[in-house]
Amino acid sequence: MNSEHEPKIVAFLCKWCSSAGSDMAGVSRLEYPSNVIPITVMCSGSVSPLYILSAFNLGADGVLVSGCHPGDCHYIKGNMYARRRMALLKELLPYIGLEPERFQMSWVSAAEGLKFTQIIKEFVKQLKPLGPQTQLRRSL
Amino acid sequence: MEKVLKKSDLGQWVARLKDFDLYGPVRENNHWEFNQISQLANFPEDYTQVNVPLKKILLPNREVLFQFEDNRNGGPYLQEVLPEEREVVVFGVRPCDARGIVLLEKVFSSEIPDIYFERRRQQVYVVGLSCYPLPGENCFCLSLGGGPFSTKGMDILLTKMQSKYFVEVLTPKGEKLIKAAPEYFFNPTDKDQQERQQLERKARAMFTRQIEGVEKIWPVLSQMFESPLWREESYRCLKCGICTYLCPTCHCFDITDEISSTAPLQGKRVRVWDTCQFPDFTMHSSGHNPRPDKASRLRQRIMHKFLYFVETFGDIMCTGCGRCVSKCPVGIDIIDILNKVASHGA
Amino acid sequence: MVEVEKIREEARRLLQEGQVRGVIGYVRGPQGVWAVPAMIRNPEDVDRLVWNPTCVHNLVLFVVEEKKEQARQKEPDKRPLAVVVKGCDSRAINVLLQEKFIEREEVILLGVSCENSGVVDKKKLLNLVPSQKIEEIVYGNNGHIVAVIDGERRVFPPEEVLADRCLECQANFPVVYDHFFGEKIKKEAINTSPGVDKIEKMRLEERRRFWEEELSRCLRCYACRSVCPMCYCTECVVDPISFAVEPTTTAEEKAKKIKWIEKSPLLSENFVYHLVRAIHLAGRCVDCGECERVCPEDIPIRLLNKKLEREAWRLFNYVAGMDSQAPSLFSTFKETDPEDFIR
Repeated sequence: MNSEHEPKIVAFLCKWCSSAGSDMAGVSRLEYPSNVIPITVMCSGSVSPLYILSAFNLGADGVLVSGCHPGDCHYIKGNMYARRRMALLKELLPYIGLEPERFQMSWVSAAEGLKFTQIIKEFVKQLKPLGPQTQLRRSL
Repeated sequence: MEKVLKKSDLGQWVARLKDFDLYGPVRENNHWEFNQISQLANFPEDYTQVNVPLKKILLPNREVLFQFEDNRNGGPYLQEVLPEEREVVVFGVRPCDARGIVLLEKVFSSEIPDIYFERRRQQVYVVGLSCYPLPGENCFCLSLGGGPFSTKGMDILLTKMQSKYFVEVLTPKGEKLIKAAPEYFFNPTDKDQQERQQLERKARAMFTRQIEGVEKIWPVLSQMFESPLWREESYRCLKCGICTYLCPTCHCFDITDEISSTAPLQGKRVRVWDTCQFPDFTMHSSGHNPRPDKASRLRQRIMHKFLYFVETFGDIMCTGCGRCVSKCPVGIDIIDILNKVASHGA
Repeated sequence: MVEVEKIREEARRLLQEGQVRGVIGYVRGPQGVWAVPAMIRNPEDVDRLVWNPTCVHNLVLFVVEEKKEQARQKEPDKRPLAVVVKGCDSRAINVLLQEKFIEREEVILLGVSCENSGVVDKKKLLNLVPSQKIEEIVYGNNGHIVAVIDGERRVFPPEEVLADRCLECQANFPVVYDHFFGEKIKKEAINTSPGVDKIEKMRLEERRRFWEEELSRCLRCYACRSVCPMCYCTECVVDPISFAVEPTTTAEEKAKKIKWIEKSPLLSENFVYHLVRAIHLAGRCVDCGECERVCPEDIPIRLLNKKLEREAWRLFNYVAGMDSQAPSLFSTFKETDPEDFIR
């Protein structure tokens, strides 16, 4: 396996919690790997599985969906809908042969800057030995 | 030139064709497909007809036309991409599919030749296999001027006999293939000739499906644009692409740009299969669709094959392979429809 | 035994009384015994209706098409449609009701029971009786299928000729109907999905190789999408242009349309297409199996849907199409939904 590979992670972060959490990590001057491309969304419940598949299709080595903790959703229950949808996608991807580590979900609140950095560090660590994601990646 | 080849020598001959990429019928799940092969000992007894006809090689479902790059300093930069240079021999091509090539040539190799098709056509050697018994229950090539032993579009036609193949060498390309292993080819005896003729007669008598009076169809069709027949026959149509994608003569395509990088802008312009059966095929950017329903799309398929193509190229754009009939998930039957059309003129 | 004469009688009555604008049912197709879908509009045509093991199609597709067609009409015919539904088809009706795509009074359901049999897989039967002329296919006893071939009756046990979906079916009679034909015989499925078991047992690389081989053949003829009554979106992510384009749509709006998936049948694009379709059908797919039947390349598409069906049951105790009043899989949640995969 290619241990030199620097994985590219697309992270869908909810505006109210996880994106704020990543800001918290920044203002707290916590260090974490620069492999992540954050995309702020209004709610984890607004992330369509299509976005995730499309991220893989356009070259992501890993995709993270992160929202508010249960009960904290700005829209009351958006994250609960997301949880159902992502649970099924999480089962579907390894079924077709994609490494389960490549798609992850987390709850990160606006205060959890440290947790955010830990999740990213851990994600990068898991992805590195897997090498580039080629199964869903479009190569023309 | 006519020859015979011992059945056991087929593999030896094919093994000599080292300079070529070889394609032959390969069983996949429930059907046959032309795939690349390394050897060919015989044609399996249960080989009927491939799913995707020869156009898969001549008119692939994705053809790169050119690459482009928007180089900030030097402006847009285009580079032509031509099909790779390789000579391909395809074994086991049925006469209907080989005739399909002749019809495709009318479109792509006439006044303005299509360089991509032309190059592929020049590189493909067609080794046909005559049809005895008939490969499909919906074969109707006989009604369209073809036949189970038709040689149109082929370089060599093989006929499976008792212990030998009867080999009809039809073109210089065919001769080139024979010359790779001349010692396996012998002159046919009178008995061989008779055996071959007899098989052809038997095969021709096997057809159960036919169009009555195909010559009547195109004058009648030209009067049938508004016929209620199209609505009736298309009610159950699914709007899928099976009938056209598996057709040996359907050749409609879409051209699209595939972007591999946005900064700098890089990508390829590709030609991909498209079909008149998809609702968006004729969709205008205004939102208007001149063929808005299934009836008009079915009509287009029939009219293109049996009227417009006849008017433009003097030939019917259908070889009677029967795929669109056998493969239609809802039993839309072009033979049945054409017989109904013919009866309108009676 | 389902008596076709009773179905015809009901259809005739509905048409004669003008209660319905048409009856969607099965008729004998142009190629011998194989039934095809048809819309019967006149009472004198009801004798064309048939019911036999070749009635494979899910006719709910035509309910969807009629609904869209009527929406385009200036003066739509508001009378309901009568439609012949098998067990799986009736569950498709339930999903459409659940999603408020149709209202209950728009359809009159002529429910037929598959009893303890199902419908024939044409490919399986033709492998057993190649190139012979089949004159008739009817139901025999105990789920057996009887085919008359060259004047001779041949009896086939269900596992030899029935479609996989029928062998795996656990709800072989309609769950929603207005008129019911036949008998409700609860049958034990042989296995709910041996195909899914097989893939689950594979190692990750084997699964990848399996799906790469299967999906590389996809021609993107979209027959799977076209035949699916649940694929009723006006705009699909794979369409290169948008159907939502109206004369008033501005150039800017058009330019902003995202091209999610390339039109080329590249392996990566085929993967994304089939995965998107599978996930969009999660909790909606009633396993009528039509997508797999129509695929000209014999891609086992059902295995994707069956996997999600299994997971929806395992994780959320959800079965598609059983109850039109219950919320759909993704429009609801429970506090106790599993979240051990979330960090």
